[in-house]
Amino acid sequence: MDDDLPTDFQVIVVGTGMVESIVAAACSRIGKNVLHLDSSDHYGGLWASYNFDGLQKFIKEVSEDPKRQEQVYNLSEKWYIEKDVSEEAEENKTDADPAKKIWSQTKFAAEYRKFNIDMTPKLLFSRGPLVELLISSNIARYAEFRCVTRVLTWLDDRLMPVPCSRADVFATDSVSILEKRQLMKMLTAIVGNTEEEMEQEFKDWNDKPFKDYLTHKGLTPNLIHYVLFAIAGGTDKMNCRDGVKESKKFLMSLGRYGNTPFLWPMYGSGELPQCFCRLCAVFGGVYCLNRPIDKVEHKVVDEGKSIVVIESKSKTLNCDHLVIGINECPKEMISPEPTESTDISKAVFVTNASIMPSEKEPLTLLRFPSLDGTDHAVTVLEVGPATGSCPKGLFVVYLITSKVTDAENDLMPYAQRIFDMNADQSETTEKPKCLWSVFYNVRDTSAPVASLVDNVHVCSGPDSGLDFDRAVEQAEQIFKKICPGEEFLPRAPDPEEIVFEDDAAPGPDFERTLEDEEEQKPEE
Amino acid sequence: MEDYKFLFKVVLVGNAGVGKTCLVRRFTQGLFPPGQGATIGVDFMIKTVEVDGEKVKLQIWDTAGQERFRSITQSYYRSAHALILVYDISCQPTFDCLPDWLREIEEYANNKVLRILVGNKTDREDREIPRHIGDDFAQRNGMYFLETSAKEAENVERLFMEIAVELMEQAKCKELPKYDGSLGPINDKNKAVAVAKVHVLN
Repeated sequence: MDDDLPTDFQVIVVGTGMVESIVAAACSRIGKNVLHLDSSDHYGGLWASYNFDGLQKFIKEVSEDPKRQEQVYNLSEKWYIEKDVSEEAEENKTDADPAKKIWSQTKFAAEYRKFNIDMTPKLLFSRGPLVELLISSNIARYAEFRCVTRVLTWLDDRLMPVPCSRADVFATDSVSILEKRQLMKMLTAIVGNTEEEMEQEFKDWNDKPFKDYLTHKGLTPNLIHYVLFAIAGGTDKMNCRDGVKESKKFLMSLGRYGNTPFLWPMYGSGELPQCFCRLCAVFGGVYCLNRPIDKVEHKVVDEGKSIVVIESKSKTLNCDHLVIGINECPKEMISPEPTESTDISKAVFVTNASIMPSEKEPLTLLRFPSLDGTDHAVTVLEVGPATGSCPKGLFVVYLITSKVTDAENDLMPYAQRIFDMNADQSETTEKPKCLWSVFYNVRDTSAPVASLVDNVHVCSGPDSGLDFDRAVEQAEQIFKKICPGEEFLPRAPDPEEIVFEDDAAPGPDFERTLEDEEEQKPEE
Repeated sequence: MEDYKFLFKVVLVGNAGVGKTCLVRRFTQGLFPPGQGATIGVDFMIKTVEVDGEKVKLQIWDTAGQERFRSITQSYYRSAHALILVYDISCQPTFDCLPDWLREIEEYANNKVLRILVGNKTDREDREIPRHIGDDFAQRNGMYFLETSAKEAENVERLFMEIAVELMEQAKCKELPKYDGSLGPINDKNKAVAVAKVHVLN
């Protein structure tokens, strides 16, 4: 079957991560002939979502394959529940809440399909670049989203909801009337001021800590905490310029869809690269998973034209442009520019309840200020069954931060604050019980990397940011290099707008004469 | 608001060349496309039918060619209400691949999805798969079964109408898996809000 694979393309894309997939879609959309390959049997690379079975395979791969360990390392998986539930435990269950299932490893395995666990969980700002791109390109029709229902923070040793909308600010009990006025004034100024007003206001502050500015404005410690950690997503050291920029981004995305500025993709972030792949295919892109590449070569052919030649499964593929994920790209093609980077520490937990119970199933962003006074805040995302992430009765919780020592050391103190790590499921405790966890570090490959060859374009790996801004931005830059002057993902027509060629009676063939051909040849 | 009461997503899978696109276009446009290649840019086709006096809109999705090298995106299967698995009755290999397709369906589609097995190309004289073999396979795997010819327009209308009727019935009994109703006003509480064309489920 593989032998059917055509060999000549304008653009070959290797890897189905987010950046690669957006570039593939953009090229195909404007009529480029695109081949999109991935060495693995699923879409997304390090941006993928896995069901529980797929995740086990991923864990196994990482622990066995040294090549994989270049990307993912320090991985440790842990169960906090029995392999099987004893009959005794099943009987005891009746005393407790009957709706609460006693989970076992076997029960996880039985419901493996209902898990969709993200390698790169991300939220979308409602007015962020990815949402705007999904709408303008019409790719939004391939995806569904849920609104993040609340933003939490860790204040005075407990979880606190952060009032983010006007309604929230006025509804909250945790802030006094005076504070409410202060907060609203502050937020309104950030959103409402013109460039000039902003310039005037911040001219002496830009490089100073945002915290100092907030203090200077007379905000109470509680309010400073809300604005700095939860709204700006910052740390004590965040400078004022970034603080204002991030706060503005947060506030501008309010009021579009839900009560918070964020959307979460149904079935996980791993769906999003696939949406772009679908569009690429709809416009004629050829797809082939399970297709590792063995060799990449740059060649200059007869007319001085430069092409890229790929060997894959003893087949030679040619293209004018190669777009390739950083992890697939031969090292000798990468321009050696040492970039400072901090790797990422990640953890995933499966728990039996939400970190803060609520009437309706919550979808939570928790911004955890550093517990040890360092400059590393922790981002926590908690998603439930309604997002297609896990079976009923469970929650999936992601913890993400910059690496200091290793994932487990970096994140365990935070996990212990919000979970009960000694799961005895028959007991009722205040905190949700952790049933399963995995910790791992990911090498930071998010810095843009230049290639030594003009027509090889290297795509970065996942970054630790909350949204996909950087992926979208990089994809657009790569596209502009390949297709200068072309529109980036113009709106795809709706089915109703498509006129089929064979609907109309075909006219006579256009017979081109030899002279025409001569004339049409572009002058070199 | 458009004039329909139900909207269902129907997706087709099966090997390349079994006639998936032809089935869709026969049903939605009443024609048999003479050649390949005219489907660039086509995502899904829409046809509104009437069941018991109620308007039902069928949104029928094709594979966009990703089946050629077995590379269909999982997201293609998400939130489908019905799934049509197609093989070519004159081509044994397309039938032999059915278990592979079923595995993929099990993996990614909702387990309550309505599944229909279709043996296409009954107009062909060189049949390789007897009708009862297809029927048996369908029964063993809990699927409906129908043989069709997109070319002769045989059973095509019936195929989609039966899907519409069945899905309507399920919806009315509320048995329909509540894909949060993102594709139609099935369940008010979980109704999706398409705000500025981004599907947000509340």
